[in-house]
Amino acid sequence: MRGNRAFVGLLLLPAFLFLMMFYVYPTLFNLQNSLTDLSLFGLRRGGQWVGVRNYVELVTSKEFRRVLYNTTVWLTLIGVSVRIVLGLLLALLVNSDTLRRWRLRTLFHVILIVPWATPPIVAVVIWRWMLDPRAGVVNKLLVGSGVAAEPVAFLSDVTFVWPALITIITWNTLPLVTLTFLASLKAIPAEVLEAASVDGATKLQSTWHVVLPHLMPAVVVMTLLSTFWTFNNFVYVWLSTGAGPGLYTNVMATEVYLKAFVDGRMGYSSAIGMVMAAIMTAFGLLYLRLVIRRELREVF
Amino acid sequence: MGVEPAPAVDVRPLAHAVPRRRRGVRPGELLVLAVALVVAVVLIYPTVWVFFASFKTQETLFSGEFAHYTLRNYRRLFASGFGVHIGNSLVISATAVLISTFVSVIAAYVFSRRRFRWKSVIFGGVMLGQTFPWIILVTPVFILFARLGLLNTYVGIIVCYVAVTIPFSVYLLVGYLESVPRSLDEMAIIDGCPPFQVIWRIVFPIMLPGVVATATYAFILCWSEYLFALAFLTRTDMKTMPLALYAFFGEHTTEWGQVMAAAALTTLPPLLLFLPLQTKLSAGLAAGAVKQ
Repeated sequence: MRGNRAFVGLLLLPAFLFLMMFYVYPTLFNLQNSLTDLSLFGLRRGGQWVGVRNYVELVTSKEFRRVLYNTTVWLTLIGVSVRIVLGLLLALLVNSDTLRRWRLRTLFHVILIVPWATPPIVAVVIWRWMLDPRAGVVNKLLVGSGVAAEPVAFLSDVTFVWPALITIITWNTLPLVTLTFLASLKAIPAEVLEAASVDGATKLQSTWHVVLPHLMPAVVVMTLLSTFWTFNNFVYVWLSTGAGPGLYTNVMATEVYLKAFVDGRMGYSSAIGMVMAAIMTAFGLLYLRLVIRRELREVF
Repeated sequence: MGVEPAPAVDVRPLAHAVPRRRRGVRPGELLVLAVALVVAVVLIYPTVWVFFASFKTQETLFSGEFAHYTLRNYRRLFASGFGVHIGNSLVISATAVLISTFVSVIAAYVFSRRRFRWKSVIFGGVMLGQTFPWIILVTPVFILFARLGLLNTYVGIIVCYVAVTIPFSVYLLVGYLESVPRSLDEMAIIDGCPPFQVIWRIVFPIMLPGVVATATYAFILCWSEYLFALAFLTRTDMKTMPLALYAFFGEHTTEWGQVMAAAALTTLPPLLLFLPLQTKLSAGLAAGAVKQ
């Protein structure tokens, strides 16, 4: 087609410029910084070239090992698994014959929007109040019902802080996962389920052998998207616990922030950032293969 | 994928609806309903409580007492200058979404309808933007903005929000366009319609539902954004609502009433926007899964 190249170029140019300025340039700048000892307090002077020293320090650092463990195991692996499993169970509950018979399904769709529409900052503020040892409703319930002898400081007690954080994140992010599964459930042809029940399959059997396999692609999409959103998230941990008590809940996103803006070690912080970007790029390539290639076959 | 398949809310005429409750509660159902009730309470209690608490006085805030509702918290909130932050949030989010949606629509059109060299590399690159850790942008962009004088300006934060919403918007819009038949816009091109007119007159109207869903989602993302606002808007009069809310939370932990009023005001727009949107967006995310 005549002029195709100019037309394509013109329409992609704005997006290209934004993405160059915000993703490519900062990443290269970050890479360069990560090889220096750039300090927050000597920004104008610039950093001295130190080669891969920041990366060596990172690999050998005990603190970084804990940060890596917190981010991958607690925040991402456990956090995302809880969300996906609860999302599946909740979708099956909302889709159940009982809720259909009682005409509660529409109501549940509305209920699911409420936590989803609540901005993360508000979610953290509410839950910090609810989990408060003195005034919090959760402690009042626990103590009032005799489950706990005295109030629990959920967000500053190392036994409870991770479960509490995961509760906050799950509450806020579960609806999107559930609604996506519900949309996918709607697409199961009724005949398939009827055929299964005619063949004598019990409810449990048809859920296991027909419904769940049908949901698998949606599970893959939501697992990957949740992984990106959770792994990279700064707000939940920072505002709920400030990476504490001590640095007990420190994750990669908060570590990047702490090292750069509290310790002032921008070079070292950039190195952590590069490790984060590398891990996410690996997941991103998986996402391109498993999701984008399947969904947008004509484009990609 | 597409952003607009069947609505999740049942729209069948009532005559064909599920049989009425004929036999009362079945034993197994009681358990299901009890679980459903508990789940529903856990899901809505926190947010609903914020709205109730925002109308309570400091003295009755933590009691279960439902009398004595007052607008005092809101009056004091506005008296302390919270209106400025609402204005900032509105201007920044709305402008960013307009620009980001425009940029994403034209890019999505090209990705969906044209063939060109390096297409899958460029498209793959844009999609990888979705997986990018925003936190690592903070330092480089802070330095860049400081040099360009863009810290504490609308322009700076808007450019930032446009950039971070483009990848997801392009993903949703391309998915939507793929579900729209190509015949219409191809016919228009054969008939000699100029390329820009094809986008504006033919494609844009068809993809409007997808555009609305995408723009709403982007708006809510910008409205709730905290990290970049924290880093690039340090002057009080430039701060957006999430920042102002959190600052309040930190400074006046005793002023729970005002914190709750601010939280309620921050939650209201997303809540109102999400109600019509939810079916479209979640169906859009699921659609790829539907297309076997």
